[in-house]
Amino acid sequence: MPGTLYKSAAIVGAAEANQIGFLKEPVTALQLHIEAIKNLSDSTGLPISRIEGVFSTGWSSELCEHLGIRPKYIDTTAVGGCSFEMHVHHAMAAIHAGIIDTALISHGENGHSARAIGGRGAANYGRGGVNSPGQEMTMAYGLGSAPSNYAHAMVRHMHRFGTTTEDFAHIAKVTRDWATLNPRAAMYSKDVHPFGGPITVEQVEESRLIAWPLTILHCCMVADHGGAVLVASPKVAASLNTKPVWIAGAGESMGHSNMLEMEDFTATSASVSADAAYTMAGMGPSDMEMALIYDSFTITAAITAEMLGLAPRGEGHLLWKDGRAAPGGSFPINTNGGGLSFNHSGMYGMPLLIEAYRQLSGTAEDGINGDKGKQTSARTCVVNGTGGSLSTTGTLVLVADD
Amino acid sequence: MSYKFPVPTQGTHTRPFWEGAKAGKLMLPRCQDCNRVHWYPRFICPHCHSTNLEWIQGSGEGTVHTYAVQHMAFGPWAEEVPYVTAYIDLKEGDRMLTVLRGVDPSKPEEIRIGAHVKVEFEPANDDMHLPFWRVVEG
Repeated sequence: MPGTLYKSAAIVGAAEANQIGFLKEPVTALQLHIEAIKNLSDSTGLPISRIEGVFSTGWSSELCEHLGIRPKYIDTTAVGGCSFEMHVHHAMAAIHAGIIDTALISHGENGHSARAIGGRGAANYGRGGVNSPGQEMTMAYGLGSAPSNYAHAMVRHMHRFGTTTEDFAHIAKVTRDWATLNPRAAMYSKDVHPFGGPITVEQVEESRLIAWPLTILHCCMVADHGGAVLVASPKVAASLNTKPVWIAGAGESMGHSNMLEMEDFTATSASVSADAAYTMAGMGPSDMEMALIYDSFTITAAITAEMLGLAPRGEGHLLWKDGRAAPGGSFPINTNGGGLSFNHSGMYGMPLLIEAYRQLSGTAEDGINGDKGKQTSARTCVVNGTGGSLSTTGTLVLVADD
Repeated sequence: MSYKFPVPTQGTHTRPFWEGAKAGKLMLPRCQDCNRVHWYPRFICPHCHSTNLEWIQGSGEGTVHTYAVQHMAFGPWAEEVPYVTAYIDLKEGDRMLTVLRGVDPSKPEEIRIGAHVKVEFEPANDDMHLPFWRVVEG
């Protein structure tokens, strides 16, 4: 008997770049991608704007940005030459699941031209690499670190909504309060770290400037972290000793790859990924009892809270400022102490998942030092990760077991 | 005095921009089908997906969309802190990044979103003249 994926999708077109082979005029991997995609669109009659899922071994978000599309399924599986067969497999599953109806699988690699124009086609998995035109037009202007970029979003938010650095400082202060309840947090106490323990809004305001208006206490740390979660079918879940936390909804989206292309500096694609997750779950922001939000910077947390529908536009910071997000508050946020005060190793998506699982399974107390306090009574949680420079987002709606 | 900051590698399809820059012109890519200007330069129009693209000479005028003051930087830029970075809304549409000139980094509150700016070009080497934007009025 055929499996459930049988005939659930088909390959409906194929195309190549305008010129292939040992090209006299050097081309970039990105150009090869784009030509093939344009030709595929022309030959199949499917407008590029109707592509819903994008699969490539490169930086798929840069490819999408170049095309000017914002897909709802993004895959950058890169495991070598067989990746594209896997992309077909993944696309089929996504289509069968009803997430997308159209999937673009794209390849561009300038193994020959790369010798003439720098960068190795094979080594960068078909990315634009050193020849990325977005990079070409931004690398001269002294932006390097994440805060150097994110500060621009904070200034625009302040301009548009009249928010102040003090408004955002409350996010850092409240998040630190949570960290003082979590013995695993890097900023748990002065014993753990010389700058650990409770902080005041004034201290956040007066700490060292990194990229005005961001002081260092508006920024996440860069520490070491490792973690893992197990996802299983309902049948497997029922056979284990641990409590399940159900994935009620999931969604993903992107706004841009390079911040140069960020249309609205006070908004991210989390509104889109959250809408998908809420719709899948049959729930909305008002059904959420807590949130775990990637807080790379205070501004990231504030904007994301707005995008998730937890606060009106321009008022995300009030969740923290009026105490709702704080320990004992009506809507706990970042109960582990966040990327600001718990841990952030560079990519913070995993700690979000771990804390969400612990909260909704009733295991949020680690028992270290016998501390009590960060376990909440929440039965539902919205989780949102943000990648790049406020670029890409993934949202989950998680619910506790009955 | 030689230019000490990082200089981009010229792409395969951006030559008209850099040739224009050497002549003091801000060249911008425009789609001949939907007539919209886009930035950065593409192989395809990100608005209508036409590949009928052309280069036009821009006005070199714009306004400040948002900005920040960099106090921590890397490489040669580390010696320049604090300096102001800004995203510029081009008169023709879309946006450019710059290190903003004609402003005081020690008074960030006095820099105005919406302030008018003009482009100027600084020779980095024989081939590359880099555009920078300067505030010309509050």
